[in-house]
Amino acid sequence: MDRRKFLKKSSLASSLFFVPSFVKAFEEVTSSYLGYKRLVIIQLSGGNDGLNTVIPFRNDLYYKERPTLAIPKKSIIKLNEDIGLHPSLTPLKRLYDEGYLSIINNVGYPNPVRSHFRSMDIWQTATDSDKYMQSGWLGRYLDHYGKHPHSAIEIDESLSLAMKGEVINAIATQNPKSFYNLSKDPYFKNIHNHQNDAHLSEHNLGYLYKSMIAAESSAKYIYETSKTISTSKEYPNNSFGKQLKTTAQFINSGINTKVFYGSLNGFDTHVNQLNAQKRLLKNYADCMGTFVQDLKDNGTFKDTLILTFSEFGRRVKQNASIGTDHGTANNVFIIGEHLKKQGLYNNMASLSDLDDNGDLKFEIDFRTIYATVLNKWLEVDDEKILNKSFKQLDFI
Amino acid sequence: MKTKHVQHLYWRIGFGILPTELEKLSKKNKKAVVNGLINASKTITPLKLDTSELDDLLSGSYEKTRENIKKVQTISRQKTKELNVAWVDRLAGTKELLREKMTLFWANHFVCEDNNYVYSQQFHNTLRTHALGNFKDFVMAISKEAAMTKYLNTKQNRKQKPNENFARELMELFTLGVGHYTEDDIKESARAFTGYSHNLQGGFVFRKRQHDESIKTFFGRSGNFNGDDIVNIILENKQCAKFICRKMYRYFVNDIIDENHVNEMADVFYADYNIENIMRYMMLSDWFYDEKNIGTKIKSPIEFLVGIKKIVPVNFKNPKQLLYIQKLLGQILLNPPNVAGWKGGRNWIDSNTIVMRLKLPSLILNNAYISKAKKGTSDIVAETKKQMFKKKFEKRFKTESNWSYFNDQFKNVDISNLENYMLACTMGETASVYLESLSKVSKQEHCVQLMSLPEYQMC
Repeated sequence: MDRRKFLKKSSLASSLFFVPSFVKAFEEVTSSYLGYKRLVIIQLSGGNDGLNTVIPFRNDLYYKERPTLAIPKKSIIKLNEDIGLHPSLTPLKRLYDEGYLSIINNVGYPNPVRSHFRSMDIWQTATDSDKYMQSGWLGRYLDHYGKHPHSAIEIDESLSLAMKGEVINAIATQNPKSFYNLSKDPYFKNIHNHQNDAHLSEHNLGYLYKSMIAAESSAKYIYETSKTISTSKEYPNNSFGKQLKTTAQFINSGINTKVFYGSLNGFDTHVNQLNAQKRLLKNYADCMGTFVQDLKDNGTFKDTLILTFSEFGRRVKQNASIGTDHGTANNVFIIGEHLKKQGLYNNMASLSDLDDNGDLKFEIDFRTIYATVLNKWLEVDDEKILNKSFKQLDFI
Repeated sequence: MKTKHVQHLYWRIGFGILPTELEKLSKKNKKAVVNGLINASKTITPLKLDTSELDDLLSGSYEKTRENIKKVQTISRQKTKELNVAWVDRLAGTKELLREKMTLFWANHFVCEDNNYVYSQQFHNTLRTHALGNFKDFVMAISKEAAMTKYLNTKQNRKQKPNENFARELMELFTLGVGHYTEDDIKESARAFTGYSHNLQGGFVFRKRQHDESIKTFFGRSGNFNGDDIVNIILENKQCAKFICRKMYRYFVNDIIDENHVNEMADVFYADYNIENIMRYMMLSDWFYDEKNIGTKIKSPIEFLVGIKKIVPVNFKNPKQLLYIQKLLGQILLNPPNVAGWKGGRNWIDSNTIVMRLKLPSLILNNAYISKAKKGTSDIVAETKKQMFKKKFEKRFKTESNWSYFNDQFKNVDISNLENYMLACTMGETASVYLESLSKVSKQEHCVQLMSLPEYQMC
């Protein structure tokens, strides 16, 4: 053990002799290891081609509509006699075999919008497609159930709409250390040393002071909690790998955060889709495989649920540039240890019964998935957050 | 006019005011100051970049190939970034202050964006042209903008297959507000806007064959209405004047609405829907200068940034970093979150943005350094710290700040009096006591100290 590590450990040990910190430490242990459930959301931005991700390889229409874009039968990773995964998804197949993956097919919403921004908004705010909302579903979760801003963390430089509530916003940070560094100038501490909370609540200026104090304490808390843990796992060396590595570090450190949000970009494959999607899906699956293993090694996987979505799927018929255009329904991946319905949750969409644009007709409203996750996993009142009652599914 | 009131007016109608002009205007009465602002904005100076490359592409022989589309998009992305930077410079340096502030206001009312730069630049300047004009003309012009027909799908709105998107937002967000129309009103008015489209160069085109000529029943009236008829009928409803005045009040006066004041404004606005008149009315009212309205609003990120630039001109060596800062602060010009725009007020503030806001002035003006030398001492660590921070932060924020301009502008201001020029509200007690305990090493260091206070976020 080197000197620095020794000091760190011994100072931690000595703090246990003081009752208050001991109690605090104990609380954190209970909250983080005994059924403290966490949700990780992964957004595949740009509209992942779901039909080349989870593939109906027995369906002739699939090969007919995609003469140069379909994945050849022989290279598909078969899940059963009809359906298989894209060849880049080997790590996902492993999760599937272990019963840690549930694939929900044909997820969308009524009156689909094919604009990236708008459709992403709809997924993030969980509204009807003709309504606009300025808060996100996870932000509203924070409003009602979050204790601090750091109850939800996005591993990015700035916050997505999904993570903005009506009153509380989550925290965005790529690097807890630099966030902490920005906030810790002693100058800021000194200008509010003696402000008491009552005085701070009412006016806008008080609100700024309050936000500043909360931010300082969150930045410090996140940094100091997460720095105690380092991972030995080798993540792919790219920004998505780093995001998941940081997320695992947070989770394994026992941080008091319920929701994490990360994203992988580049799925808008209008042109020469094959190589681009191959690379993206490989990165997604490799990172996810490492991430799950990292959590498992630290005993936190059993209390983590990972949901992956994209703002829309793509058109069934390929376009003239060996790519695909914006479509509608898509698959959602749920990864976790306690899945009630493992593997394929439902059948794939019909490729013959399409809408006027030649797009899939959705079967499962994405908000029923949110409602289920909120209600059954985070154990909160989903209706309060989604402003509407949705059917519960039984994947968890 | 009281110095404090001039400052207030210039924060809300502009981005702050420098000492010399403040002295000058304080000697005038309110009417003269307000007239001065209005007269300076009688002219309209469009903000345009060189678009010849795009214009050539979009000329008569344009073929809609994937390659061409991509080319237009690539150039447009680049140009949009350039316009963002040019707009920030415009806001900091304009003589047409009221018009520019109004343009910024309307850009968050008639929210729109487009991936064809020619259309988005044209839309942007339509906002500027009508910013102080007649609201009815404004709405009609907006409904015919190429970018808008694309953004809210009026372009896809055809007789056989109406698209309600524009009709809905026209009422919900642009004129009446939610709850003041029925779903049937939306369906019927959508039919009136059928046939709206544009040509390649961005001009309005009315496709008669796609227009629904049959009778529509809208707000209890029936007729073969077109889009302009619908706008006329909507504006006859006083709710429209109220809705717009509410939004103005919230933006220029206070987050907390005083219904009496809004009703007063709505009476004035409803008479002729003249935007200049309603702004004049607001600026001349006594209540605009009420104590509860001064220094109580949270600056938008752009107000904050431009305000800094006005005091200490600062340039980003890499213009991308200016956009990056806007991203970190939560408001990228020309890139609204959605058609509802930015919510504003306290919604600007979260843990990330507050930390960024407090640190930003020192980051871009002073190598991230905020002086903490005790009273009676000189700041001996300043230079070494600055060198250290410079290395650390330069990759993210490479700027040139013109402190000699600041020193010149503030040469007649005593250092102990600087806060009265920089802060719109009274300093909190703890902050005040703490700053009193520090040495005022130089005007520059003191300026950075003041800008690093939460109080500096207020206007």
